[in-house]
Amino acid sequence: MEDQVEEIELKPVTVRRTFTLRNNVARQVAVNFMPSRQIPYGTLRLRRSNSDSEALLAGGADSERQADIIVREMEQLQRLMEDNPVSEELRREALRDLPQGLTMKRTVRAKLSASVSLRSKHRPISFYKRLKYRISFAMKKGRDRISELIFSIEPWHEAIRHVEGQFGSAVGSYFHFLRWLFAINLLLAMLLVCFVVVPQVLHDQENNNKTGSMGFLDFVSGKGGFEDSVLFYGHYHWGDVSALGPLTYNMPFAYFFTMFSLYFFFFAILCYRTAYSYRRNFIEIAGGLSNVFATKVFCGWDFGIVSQHAASLNASSIYNEFKELLSEQNKKHVTMSLCRRVCQYMVNVAVTLCVLALVAALQYGLWQLLALDTQLQHWEIFVSLIITFVIALCPLLFNLIVRVEYYKARTALYVTLARTGLLDISTLTLLLVYWSQSGTPCWESAVGRETYRLVLLDSLVSLFLLPLVEFARGFIFKMSSSSSSTGPEFNLSYNSLTLVYNQGVVWVGAAWCPLLPAALALKFLLLFYVKRECALRACQPARKVWRAAQTQTVLYMLVTLSLFVTLFAIGSLFLRGSSEWCGPFMKYSAVWGVVSEGVLRLPDRPVLHALLAFLTRPGVIAFLFLSLCVATYLMRARARAQRSMVGILRRMLVLQAKDKDFLLAAIDKVSNGEWLYNPREEDQSADSHTLKYLQEVRKPSNAAYHFDVTRLNHSEPRPHRAETRPHRPHSHHVATRRTSEDGDTDSSFSWQGSATCLNNTNDDKLE
Amino acid sequence: MGNKIVTFTEQQLEDYQDCTFFTRKEILRVFKRFREVNPDLVPKRMTENQAHTIAVPVEEIEKLPELKENPFKRRICQVFSHDGSGNLTFEDFLDMMSVFSEAAPRDIKAWYAFRIYDLDDDMYIGREDLLEATRLLTKGELHPQERDEIVASVLDEADVDGDGRLSFMDFEHVVVRAPDFLSTFHIRV
Repeated sequence: MEDQVEEIELKPVTVRRTFTLRNNVARQVAVNFMPSRQIPYGTLRLRRSNSDSEALLAGGADSERQADIIVREMEQLQRLMEDNPVSEELRREALRDLPQGLTMKRTVRAKLSASVSLRSKHRPISFYKRLKYRISFAMKKGRDRISELIFSIEPWHEAIRHVEGQFGSAVGSYFHFLRWLFAINLLLAMLLVCFVVVPQVLHDQENNNKTGSMGFLDFVSGKGGFEDSVLFYGHYHWGDVSALGPLTYNMPFAYFFTMFSLYFFFFAILCYRTAYSYRRNFIEIAGGLSNVFATKVFCGWDFGIVSQHAASLNASSIYNEFKELLSEQNKKHVTMSLCRRVCQYMVNVAVTLCVLALVAALQYGLWQLLALDTQLQHWEIFVSLIITFVIALCPLLFNLIVRVEYYKARTALYVTLARTGLLDISTLTLLLVYWSQSGTPCWESAVGRETYRLVLLDSLVSLFLLPLVEFARGFIFKMSSSSSSTGPEFNLSYNSLTLVYNQGVVWVGAAWCPLLPAALALKFLLLFYVKRECALRACQPARKVWRAAQTQTVLYMLVTLSLFVTLFAIGSLFLRGSSEWCGPFMKYSAVWGVVSEGVLRLPDRPVLHALLAFLTRPGVIAFLFLSLCVATYLMRARARAQRSMVGILRRMLVLQAKDKDFLLAAIDKVSNGEWLYNPREEDQSADSHTLKYLQEVRKPSNAAYHFDVTRLNHSEPRPHRAETRPHRPHSHHVATRRTSEDGDTDSSFSWQGSATCLNNTNDDKLE
Repeated sequence: MGNKIVTFTEQQLEDYQDCTFFTRKEILRVFKRFREVNPDLVPKRMTENQAHTIAVPVEEIEKLPELKENPFKRRICQVFSHDGSGNLTFEDFLDMMSVFSEAAPRDIKAWYAFRIYDLDDDMYIGREDLLEATRLLTKGELHPQERDEIVASVLDEADVDGDGRLSFMDFEHVVVRAPDFLSTFHIRV
């Protein structure tokens, strides 16, 4: 069978198709009684297939009986029928996944509950179990209530729906992302204000700290009167705050632990969200065959579209993509020579190196700019402005650069995103390193000021300049009123990158400018409305369908990555040292001292100190790192093995389908009264079995046939029908029979049997 | 508090929450959309069996903004209606929105997508179904022979068991692995 496998696969497409059609002709009603034809769909879920097969076979049974059938199927699963919260949850899930109408589901649910309560054995359960059930039940209820609360304060729901209806789900996903970031920043801001800012404000009021003069440029640069304000790190008290009577509030502890827990909490949330998104959009679809046509037909239409304009655009985009796919299919596939492929690869590598060099040069230039010692009044504002413009223009530059290279469209997008992410992260890291090395008296406040300026100036660009440009473009398009050219589209990648950049700045700056998340939350609020107006008034829906889901995963990954790098950088800075002239950690040599001296009181506990010193030795850390690497490699190896297993199983599936075809055709013959016979050696060609049988059988069986026992060849060891062996030792038998009786049926394949002949020939021939 | 009209009983809301992928607030939102279709026909109180007896005719359901521009709107209504005619009761409508919501898992969506694309309702997506689907998707722009080529390619790619039409297994195999399926087969209510 193995050599036949290859031959089947190498067949050109057209022959396979005719083979299918001819098979269709041979189908008979008898075939439809096969089990797989009865169950119209065979999914892996036992519950669904059983219940629905029964219900469907019942055909026109009324809903009561159908519900009864379904309930009976579900009762067979023991785990579902117990009387505890876990079973209840399983029942609920089973109900939800039942592909029946809602009315049916309600009936089923009622019957099921009745059945469960009938069955529940009233055995006294132990106190421990009862407690466990009650706790899990309460947790489930609590979770439901929390998710309901979150849903009830869902802002901008109608607005996003409106935009989605006009532009499609891709643009909708951008606004979703914006809203999610806004929620995160709002939460971060609220927690910081509660735990860090408010005590400091109370302390200030107690001590009546004066605030300096505040000019407008001071507002922008964060210097002057703003320098020593609640805005920045340097202002925070280094001791206890006792504003409300006898209660004291240790500021350094509060500051450190708030920052620490918030960073790690949000890192956990981001990791979870990224992993979930990655699993849904990448892993679950991995290993899929390239079904371009099928996916285009079945997933091409965006069901969320509401406006007529967007609908006609969607239709025309599907039309264009069909034409593209058809032309690509009809084009002869030219395999590129090895030389050309190497050439393209070299070009890609060269351009990537150029881009890396460009980024490095930009960082070097930035460093020099920062180190430039000018006496200009507001030099920092100027530097921040330069940084903002560079970061605003670079994605466009990268977009142009990537067109020179030889990438597929999706890969080009990912490459651009990666490069822009690299630029952003390296810029922020450079700023952090510069200010911490610069030796200015209160470098933490300087970093805070820098990030504050970046957020402020970027809002200038994205809230004012960019919308102006987009409105101008939209206006020009409307004035020119040429229907052929397409209008300006909503630039999804650019806008998403802006969001990621802003969030990255906040991750770096939140430790040293506690009010920065609040500022960003406010900025995102304004940005939502500005972008919505931009999109609705100045942009046209996109012509090409954009794969929003996978791009979303990449964006989440970028945000998580920026937070990870920030954690790393800030962690190392905290371990190193802190300023001695300002900030809540003045009294500690390193910020880590808050934990080591303050909480754990290590100087007083030498044993603990020795233990921790041992655990943080390079050897131990290296060992942990190495074991992590090994674990990752093992998991990757397992994933690869499973992927190749999927490939093997898929090939087996195709082979089983071919087997099934063969057997179905054989059943056909059997039900017609003809019998299969061993194929002759000379007749074996490269065609499959079924094709051969189709070709040989000439007529349906309605004539009286003569049973000829010799054709059975009981004496010879007969090989399995599915295998083909080169030798057919009985071929000479058949040769002698060839010239006999019926001229129209090919005697080598059809039995000729009737009852009378059976009795005659049996006695003398059977030896 | 006294004059508030109770739309659903507590038992009903719990039932709906258990059987669909919606929370309480979303169920009420869906009811509001349903009532907007025909405020005269749909009463404000659905505490008795109005939820599964009062059916809004299919022509009015198709005027809903979510369905108006959809080429498969008639078939969607037929699939989700209790009697196959397209007239939807509130429970049918809730079911429809639940399947199209974001929380519905992939295989539920795949099953209903299969039934929607199976235009002649024979539990297989055959050639005629695919031809009609392509015609509806492109609003009749393609030439007949282009459509034939597309349908042939689709059958070629997706039809694993080689019978010339797509069973649910074939369809699910294709669609569950498509990266866009979840985001396109989604109506926000």
